[in-house]
Amino acid sequence: MTKVATLTDAVASIPDGSHVSLSGFAISRCAMAFAHEVIRQGIKGLTVSQCVTAMEADILVGGGGVERIISGGGSRGRFGQHHCINRGIEQGTLIAEEYSSLSMAFRFLAGALGLPFIPIRSLRGSDILKRLQEVAPSEVAMVDDPFTGDDWLVLKPVVPDVAVIQVQVADEEGNAWILGPRWTNEEQLKASKRGIIITERLVSTDMIRSEPERTVIPGFRVSHVVHLPYAAHPTAVYHAYDFDADHIKHYAQASRTPEGTREYLDRYVYGTRDHEEYLELIGGASHLDGLAADPALGY
Amino acid sequence: MTAEFEYTPLELMAAAGARELRDGEIVAVGLGLPVVVSFLAKRTHAPNITLLFELGVVDPEPVDTAVGLADPRIWYRAKILSSFVDMLGTVLHKGLVDVGFLGGLEIDAYGNLNTTLLGDPKGKYRHFTGSGGANDIASYARRTITIIRHEARKLNEAVAFVTSPGYLRGGEEREAAGLAGGPSRVITDKAIFDFDPESRRMRLVSIHPGITQEEVLANMNFQPIVPDAVPTTEPPTSEQVRLIREEIDPDGMYAG
Repeated sequence: MTKVATLTDAVASIPDGSHVSLSGFAISRCAMAFAHEVIRQGIKGLTVSQCVTAMEADILVGGGGVERIISGGGSRGRFGQHHCINRGIEQGTLIAEEYSSLSMAFRFLAGALGLPFIPIRSLRGSDILKRLQEVAPSEVAMVDDPFTGDDWLVLKPVVPDVAVIQVQVADEEGNAWILGPRWTNEEQLKASKRGIIITERLVSTDMIRSEPERTVIPGFRVSHVVHLPYAAHPTAVYHAYDFDADHIKHYAQASRTPEGTREYLDRYVYGTRDHEEYLELIGGASHLDGLAADPALGY
Repeated sequence: MTAEFEYTPLELMAAAGARELRDGEIVAVGLGLPVVVSFLAKRTHAPNITLLFELGVVDPEPVDTAVGLADPRIWYRAKILSSFVDMLGTVLHKGLVDVGFLGGLEIDAYGNLNTTLLGDPKGKYRHFTGSGGANDIASYARRTITIIRHEARKLNEAVAFVTSPGYLRGGEEREAAGLAGGPSRVITDKAIFDFDPESRRMRLVSIHPGITQEEVLANMNFQPIVPDAVPTTEPPTSEQVRLIREEIDPDGMYAG
């Protein structure tokens, strides 16, 4: 069954107040075109979850539609901090449930396995745990190991309403391949009630069947497949295109202030009707050709 | 200083870090100087160490400098590209990581690290990166090495927010919290520290060539344990400096 949809329709399937889990990691495989469309459609009250915070989460926060972020923390590496997320936390306009990378990975894994909770060695003795006990007391607990009697910190699973996963290759059913490290994308997708796949290449199911061991996203968990080249711009998609350093720096500078963020959104998000117009605005095909990945290097 | 060649403080720190790694160990690395440290050890005395990056990257051989772990440049020629559950789960959580590298906004007298916020956690503060894999690595790598700039604002009696636990407030507190392992070394651009086995307070191990003990202590907001005789840190060899400049970090982005 084909689930191929426009980005507009896929985004319109997400009601206000949903919990959306996002595929990006810092500056790689971020669902940027998706985030732009969420902002254009004015979807509000979202909870966003992600193992390591990334650019699509930051711009969604900047767009004002995010109420709560559940993550292991993160930055853009040498491109600096996520200013919109940090500003939201500092000003109290964004509720942050902050974990560590592995505690998020385990929470998604528990969600994917349908477990009631998952024990973990992380967080103990830290102020991360103390703060979680204040902002999310229902998500963490101590239990006794029934076999040894040892005490263990346990975390609740994360079960997002929808995972939005940017991939390189998918078929029209949503069976998808992720090239390169998958961070927690597989667990996020499998923990979620459904998935939206945004793919650089749409291939036949015959091609998926020819190398099925590469399939990490099961089509039967996917509700929409959006075929949209360069949907992660300005972030990198391994073996497709490199990150756009100049544009990331431009965003990094703009997002330092609420006014700069607003100007950025006015120009690149509200000022464009769709992803095609956005790509034209940032320089079109000639600019994007310059970002194409070298097949030998993958970037 | 009698060396007939020049080296930078970062090159000295990289060499000091590399000496801490033993052949055959599994090392959890973040970006920055730990990359230089690990590749330096791997190209000299420890060719069989395994390097892993939290997102699912094992033993890459990058040829271009990366801007972060999410940059495919650091994944080049990896032996494995997988996931957090695979790296931090089946290796680190299972107790197989020998050494983890950490850094941060500030570290305290007992090796607790803060990468989350500066200011008053209950009032006005500036929020930064948070944990990433740092808390996980600090919680159960067999030992951790922190590399941090030697500035008083970064070396405090207590940190504003314990993102990654060291020995908490010292003594047996770390074990009581259910944590194994712990900080083994802190390497700054002025000195190297370890931790007193009983009090778990930071202790001066060696001072870098050309630096005085007064300079070390004047740029800290707490008093570490200072033994009667503190040796000078062994400088890098000319071969180590050559490897860093010509092969490991030719752009000088990590150790420049």
